[in-house]
Amino acid sequence: MMKKVMSVLLCGAMVASFGVTALAEEEHEPVTLSVLAGQSTTDAGIEDMIDEALAEKYPWVTLEWECVDWGNDFQPKMQQYLQSGLPDIMIGKAQDVATYAPMGVLAPIDETYLDKGLDAARENVTIDGTTYGLVYNALYQGVYYNRAMFEENGWEIPKTIDELQAIIDDCNEKGIVPFASHMVDTWSIGNVTMQFMMNDVFNKDPEWGDKFRAGEVSFADSEEAQTAYNYNKLIFDNTYEDTFSTEQTDCDARMVLGEAAMKVSGSWSIQNFLDIDESFDFGIFPFPNQTGDSKLIFEPNITIMTSAETEHQDAVNAVLDVLTSDQELAVEIYDYTKTASMLKDVSPTFDNPSQTDIDAYAAEGQIVDVTLGNNQLVWGGFQEENAKDIAAWLQGDITFEECLAASDARVDTSSAS
Amino acid sequence: MTKKKIGGMEKRMFRQYLIMVLPGMLIFTVGLIIPLFLSFRYSLTDWDGMSKEMGFVGLQNYIDLFKDQNFRDAWWFTIRFTIFNTVIQNVAALLFAVALDSGIKAQKFYRAAFFIPCLVSAIIVGFVWLKMYSNVLPALNDLLGTNIDFGLFGKGETVLTGLLIANNWQWIGYWMLIYLAGLQSVPAELYEAAKIDGAGAVKRFFNVTIPMLAPAITICVVGITTGSLKVYDLLVSSTKGGPGRASTSVIYQTYATAINGRQYGYGSAMTVTLVVVLLLVALIQVKGLRSKEVQQ
Repeated sequence: MMKKVMSVLLCGAMVASFGVTALAEEEHEPVTLSVLAGQSTTDAGIEDMIDEALAEKYPWVTLEWECVDWGNDFQPKMQQYLQSGLPDIMIGKAQDVATYAPMGVLAPIDETYLDKGLDAARENVTIDGTTYGLVYNALYQGVYYNRAMFEENGWEIPKTIDELQAIIDDCNEKGIVPFASHMVDTWSIGNVTMQFMMNDVFNKDPEWGDKFRAGEVSFADSEEAQTAYNYNKLIFDNTYEDTFSTEQTDCDARMVLGEAAMKVSGSWSIQNFLDIDESFDFGIFPFPNQTGDSKLIFEPNITIMTSAETEHQDAVNAVLDVLTSDQELAVEIYDYTKTASMLKDVSPTFDNPSQTDIDAYAAEGQIVDVTLGNNQLVWGGFQEENAKDIAAWLQGDITFEECLAASDARVDTSSAS
Repeated sequence: MTKKKIGGMEKRMFRQYLIMVLPGMLIFTVGLIIPLFLSFRYSLTDWDGMSKEMGFVGLQNYIDLFKDQNFRDAWWFTIRFTIFNTVIQNVAALLFAVALDSGIKAQKFYRAAFFIPCLVSAIIVGFVWLKMYSNVLPALNDLLGTNIDFGLFGKGETVLTGLLIANNWQWIGYWMLIYLAGLQSVPAELYEAAKIDGAGAVKRFFNVTIPMLAPAITICVVGITTGSLKVYDLLVSSTKGGPGRASTSVIYQTYATAINGRQYGYGSAMTVTLVVVLLLVALIQVKGLRSKEVQQ
């Protein structure tokens, strides 16, 4: 009897083990996920790091990458995929969530992964209480300055425009170019304009963009918006003569070599600065506004979104797991992109000379998320086009009034929805 | 009996032609004709290119086009770019071809050297000339101690010149080869006869060479004109339509409006106008130039 019971148990165990093995094999069926990655200049190359980490932990998941430039090609690609079916994973910026989530094409991100990120990252990727994006890293934007040059000349960090003007005047007297800039890249004009708008417009009225669409405010009537546009002229009058022929790398190189004192930019410049001279000492401060209370700009950057119609949710979750739980990978990516972490308990290890300034502004609560402005006045079709008009105005092709009127006329394209 | 045979043969021939033409016709229809009709259909809507809603707006997009200063500026840039390109490229290509056909030394080397740039993608050409104007040529200033302003892409007044230099550098060699092939097919007896009649080099060029090159001229003029009207990729990598909007072509403006600006319907109206202009220009040019070919 005992023998019979034992043999039945053994048979049962064998059958069960076959079943488990079969199930396991079914779970580990090789899966290839399509990924559309809209990358900033700093991000190219992180796909190899993610592939490597994924292959180690989930060898059954393979990623088929399509890496494009976020500024120029991400939206056109999404437009194409909205017709033919979205990739399983999309990597864009936080502001993309506001564009695509209302269309019902994005899947909510599971709390398991969101909990590993900083709470500050969730606000602007949450629509009607559901979070559709996993913010992975962040950029800081403001005025990068040559610390040694500031110390040598006894310049204090300016808080008001008058204080900034004093530094500009001193620079001009001493033959130093006050601002490094590369206006050949129209996006850089668009970027700094939003920085100015954040501190002079959205700082005072966080719903300015919505009011603009409602017809309550306009560029032609808003003194604050005009001030923000006018700062571009301040930069243009105090930068390289050939700014409309200067590319970003050349611009950054000239700043590192001591030709210019400051640059209104973002963390993407750090990679260039340190590549050119790893001992270059620089800091960052917010571009001063009229009221002296400007804040450092914070921009959630790499944001992972997933398709609502993916057939491989398990594999998608495996990717999210690797991204949020593999701290070695996260540090590798942050160190490579020279950006800030948006994951809990993960900090980059690269030496960022501007980190002390960032920490000081963070401690004082002097940091503002630019997604607020970007969600209300979208990049593609609005900020991007306004930047072209600002460039045309700086070049003398159109008047300031025409530039403002063009922005007002574009009101219909100012929102994604 | 014979008539029947001929009739049967003709039918078979017709079927054969049809079968041979069919694949090309299918590709042409699917790739060009259908999208053209779709584009016209979209141009009558306010579609943003993403949402499911597509409201019918009639001809409103076309009416708006006439009021759109940016679109008018884009056309003005495109027209100037096209006219200068057509003149410069044709004249330069023809002169180079005549020079190479005159039996100069190292003809093959020059032919290859002139032709190589057209093998490079226009995107790369844009990058190359951006670097030329912003880094390479200014470095020459340092070397020579001169102070020439090479930043042609950096100013609205000079950006067209900069682009014309880049575009002509790329394409002159290509059109030169077409003229060269035309020149080499001109019978030597015609020149000899003209010489006997007392025609000098200039007269021979205008009375023998040019008329005999009429088919090549048709190809080159139509090719350069339509190519210039469609300029886009060169701009993407060099000026990005700037500074400001100074080098924004019609296609660049169309892409920015339809794709980045999420105004697919309005952008489609821009496309339709461009296609109509392209067809008209090609038709007028071919008709005009072909009539001259017949006269010769």
